[in-house]
Amino acid sequence: MHTLVVNIRLFWQGTLLSYIALFHWLRPVTYTASKILMPLAQMMFFVLLGTYATSASNINFYVIGNAVQITAVSGIFGVTMSIGNDRSMGTLPYLFGTPANRFALFFGRAFMHVIDGALGVVIAFMWGVLLFNLDLSNTDLSALGLTILVTTFSTCALGLLMGCLSLITANVMFINNTVYFLLLIFSGANVALDKFPLWMQTISNLLPLTRGIAASRLLVAGSSLESISPLLWQELLIGVVYGIIGYFMFAAFETVAKRRGTLETV
Amino acid sequence: MDAIEVNHLHRVYRAVIGVIRRSIKEVVAVGDISFAVGQGELFGLLGPNGAGKTTTVKMLTTLLIPTSGDARVGGFDVVKQANEVRKRIGFIFGGERGLYWRLSGNDNLRYFASLYGVDPDISKKRIPALLEMVGLTGRGNEKVGGYSRGMKQRLHVARTLLHDPDILFLDEPTIGLDPVGAREFRQVILDLQSQKKTILLTTHYMFEADMLCNRIAVINQGGVIALDTPSGLKKHVSDLSVVEVETFGAASEAIEKVRALSFVDSVSIEEHDQRQLLMVQTQRGAEAVPEVLAALDGQRLGRVVVREPTLEDAYVRLVGGNA
Repeated sequence: MHTLVVNIRLFWQGTLLSYIALFHWLRPVTYTASKILMPLAQMMFFVLLGTYATSASNINFYVIGNAVQITAVSGIFGVTMSIGNDRSMGTLPYLFGTPANRFALFFGRAFMHVIDGALGVVIAFMWGVLLFNLDLSNTDLSALGLTILVTTFSTCALGLLMGCLSLITANVMFINNTVYFLLLIFSGANVALDKFPLWMQTISNLLPLTRGIAASRLLVAGSSLESISPLLWQELLIGVVYGIIGYFMFAAFETVAKRRGTLETV
Repeated sequence: MDAIEVNHLHRVYRAVIGVIRRSIKEVVAVGDISFAVGQGELFGLLGPNGAGKTTTVKMLTTLLIPTSGDARVGGFDVVKQANEVRKRIGFIFGGERGLYWRLSGNDNLRYFASLYGVDPDISKKRIPALLEMVGLTGRGNEKVGGYSRGMKQRLHVARTLLHDPDILFLDEPTIGLDPVGAREFRQVILDLQSQKKTILLTTHYMFEADMLCNRIAVINQGGVIALDTPSGLKKHVSDLSVVEVETFGAASEAIEKVRALSFVDSVSIEEHDQRQLLMVQTQRGAEAVPEVLAALDGQRLGRVVVREPTLEDAYVRLVGGNA
């Protein structure tokens, strides 16, 4: 019981303090820009390009796709940096020199980014309503909120998996950027999945976001929570699988880093 | 039971060289090190850069897996029982890094207290007490990014004592500190020793080791070359005297001439901006002065002193003479 209490405390304290300590965007100006201007820029770019290339009637497709995809900013960059910055700040050896439960330590790093990522999607939806006449009058908003939360969770789980790489390499920003842009393509945010060749569809189905975006589109079109729940469960399952793989990689890479002596390499 | 037991510890680093034609180069950081540190002992590990001090400390603090050999800290194996070791040790590596600069001193300590599983009721009392002990009372709410180097070092000490460990590893803790800060830090180390903590200290400052350590192991090229008390180590040079000559921009040829004198054991040089201090170890004592000065003929010289050898002189002789 005592161990459980200690680990829950570590999870919450680690969640909050590591978020403040390691999330470099957490300054008023840069945070505001990342939360308000960046979604706006991404949505304007893809919505205008998409409707110009296809038809103005497809506007909701691009607005919803990019609004949900915004969660990858927190999910991929934020979460990865919250592990990777320990390396650049030299705190990694001190962290791994403690007997702290690695499970609580690992998942604690992502929790705030789930909230933060979901907030980013909400802001992006607001841009959709304000600038692109996104109509949510027919939408079950609580179901949409749940979908956003589940999708952000699964994306953060992928971020945790990516973050593990920062235990063995200093080039994690390159990996982040690559994964972010791959998600932009493969998640179906800007290209309908049925337009993809089979191999691309297979990859899409193995990634987070894909089902979350599809579920969001259905909800905005008036579908019920019940009808999209299979998509949500699958999205959740993908997040859990990525989280578990990430956790075991975290443990394995800790050993690899101690074997190679790369904990402090910047 | 000894607090720290090190048996034939060996560590090799593998470095990949080249981009297209890649090859692996093996670097032996620790060749074969064995020593033991008693409970409550303040044990020094001395050696030149690259001798393997930090690598040894990293292996003993579970941050690096040895290539071979074994070590026990607090009675637990550093590889097989790493978590038990971590509960019982605290460690500091010299320098400013290793703290969360965006957090306050208090929040850093709170976070590390939770990492060590310290009960919040205990940490609430212990954090102010530790801040007071390291002279940071009233500064705990400030962000660490605004701390001076010395304050960061002292916060590291507070961090390492949060879980009240029995064994401390201090790897060059006074490096980069100003003289006053370093002196205060040494007092903190003495206070810790008076609390019966076992301390393994690595340092480049010989007077520091002489002042603090009960015993010292000198390591060089990955192995222990001497292990004794500071006074025991000084006996290695009891037959020598040291002629100190202050010079101002002495030519290297002149210094080589001093080195070449048949009665000179070794010459080490301390650089102080435009001034150098030549420390000539010799068995001749004051009788060597005229010939040393003759070898330095034409150079601008300052004071000349003949003194008894120190731990530093013993160290210089042990690690290979001329420095």
